[in-house]
Amino acid sequence: MESTNRGAGIRRWFTRPRESDLMPPFYLWLGIVLLTLFTLGPFIYLLTSSLSLTRDLLSGHLLPHSPTWLNYRHLLGGTVGSDFFHALRNSFTVSAATTVLTIVVGTLGGYALARLKFPLRVTLLFIILAMQLLPSISIIVPLYVMMRDGIDFSIPFTGIGWHTPPLLDTNAALIAANLSFSLPYAAWLLSGYLQGVSRELEEAAYIDGCGKLGTMARILVPLAMPGIAATAIFTFLNCWDEFIYANAFTQTAASKTLPIVVREFIGKHSIDWGLMTAGGVVASLPPVIISLVLYRYIVSGLSAGGVKE
Amino acid sequence: MAEPNAAPKRKRAKFTPAMRHDALLAYVLLVPTLYILFRIFIVPIFQSSVWSLYKYNLMDGSDPKPVGFGNYVDIFKLQDFWTSMGNTVYFTVFSVAAELAIGFFAALLLNHAFKGRLLFRGMIMIPWAMLTLVSGLLWNWIYQPGYGALTVVLHNLHLLPDTSNPLWLSSSTKVVTFSAIADIWKMTPFMTLLLLAGLQSIPHSLYEAAVIDGAGFWKKLRHITVPQLLPTAIVAVILRIIGAYRVYDILTVFTGDAKTSTSYLTYNYAFRYFYLGKASAMAWVSTLLILILVIVYMVLLRRNQDSHL
Repeated sequence: MESTNRGAGIRRWFTRPRESDLMPPFYLWLGIVLLTLFTLGPFIYLLTSSLSLTRDLLSGHLLPHSPTWLNYRHLLGGTVGSDFFHALRNSFTVSAATTVLTIVVGTLGGYALARLKFPLRVTLLFIILAMQLLPSISIIVPLYVMMRDGIDFSIPFTGIGWHTPPLLDTNAALIAANLSFSLPYAAWLLSGYLQGVSRELEEAAYIDGCGKLGTMARILVPLAMPGIAATAIFTFLNCWDEFIYANAFTQTAASKTLPIVVREFIGKHSIDWGLMTAGGVVASLPPVIISLVLYRYIVSGLSAGGVKE
Repeated sequence: MAEPNAAPKRKRAKFTPAMRHDALLAYVLLVPTLYILFRIFIVPIFQSSVWSLYKYNLMDGSDPKPVGFGNYVDIFKLQDFWTSMGNTVYFTVFSVAAELAIGFFAALLLNHAFKGRLLFRGMIMIPWAMLTLVSGLLWNWIYQPGYGALTVVLHNLHLLPDTSNPLWLSSSTKVVTFSAIADIWKMTPFMTLLLLAGLQSIPHSLYEAAVIDGAGFWKKLRHITVPQLLPTAIVAVILRIIGAYRVYDILTVFTGDAKTSTSYLTYNYAFRYFYLGKASAMAWVSTLLILILVIVYMVLLRRNQDSHL
């Protein structure tokens, strides 16, 4: 009696999914195991390789026989270390500055696109979406010449204004170039979020004499904060990952960002896999931690039409 | 005298003072966004279309010379260009198809209610959050002949005879295939999260009704999940096609052969040989191809009506 019960239970494990689920538990967990292997396998290999001696790496040991911090000590010390710290600082400066600029400018523009009626609003949204989706390669050549010559901020026909010095090999060049994808992206996403905020609260504040701008600052922006946070996270991650502009516009050790420096661990002279994997771990740590800690915002951003490439 | 004239005029334009005030405020708020986008997107993309009609070679220092559509004729006659196009299409189709298939099943799994679901949902973000460059380097390390993880694992599982030691990256086609696998590993989570959001919006009552009708796993999948998920899936696939088409950074890790993708070839024409005219023409071919996809994407967004357009 008992054994037949247990038999039925086991059989159900293979054949019958729980209510409103699709798969029986056995197949579900089989799938989860495969998914975990596929997802974490290469990542764990990166971690273990970074803790291995070159001897172990070159003899095909997947796990280190004598775990060591040697690769990390190489990475963070000496000339390699100073280049790496420069790159960390550049990546951080460029990503943070782009994010702040993008969010401030994008919130103003996003508000106009979301809440105000004006001619050409939909056309403008279309153009902004197209800009967000076009590849960097579409505009990289003129941007390069622009950075080489410096950006001109003078008012036409008056001679009043300011012409920047050449911007190649500076963080400013990368910040300006990154705005070309981050700003359309933020304006698009933020206008969506701001439109999602309930109108009633806004109208109540407006009637209380707040004025359009006051309402925006005091009511709308705080209510849309989760959306703004998601947009900021995506912008930061996108800039951290940006490669093609950085590769074209920076040549000096003082101006290179992380992806470029990590890229150079392989190629030039000899390939030091230990150093490369250690560098990869450190460079990936900030975005991985951000994504895991702020998972909720990222998911909400993705379902709102966020694109991170 | 003027009064009765003015009123109907205003009515004809359908523009009240409040609306005019709104529009004015909108333009003021949009000024920073529009100014920045004009300078770093509109002007460059226009510039690039002009240069695509010029012989503009930075290396020989000669002045740009108009050549009409000569650059386009040249690149269409160029075997390398068509090879790169073929490789890009192959890369895009292979990686997006695999991402859709794996992402779909991963989303099905993670949509089940089970203990630790959030943990697994977070886990799949790790590859996606890593630097693209690092995931390229990691997979390049995995593919190393002799001591790389792929060879070692295949040897240990006896799927590969001990005496055989294949060079995984020995030809351009193999490079494209194996770098597509790296892209699949990194971007499948993106697909999974988008599809998961789609799955969550399918009403449970549909499945419950199907269970009453005695539908099994495959029937439920075919008659409910797939049709309900289709709009989300199409949007996700288009976004991924646009993303995969621009592949550049991963490939630079695997090979110096620029024919492996159109972006790579364009980049090299611009920043290795400094043929800015030809590079601009190539960039415009890509721009037009992507624009077609962008328009398809916009039409779908409007049809799905989950956007603020």
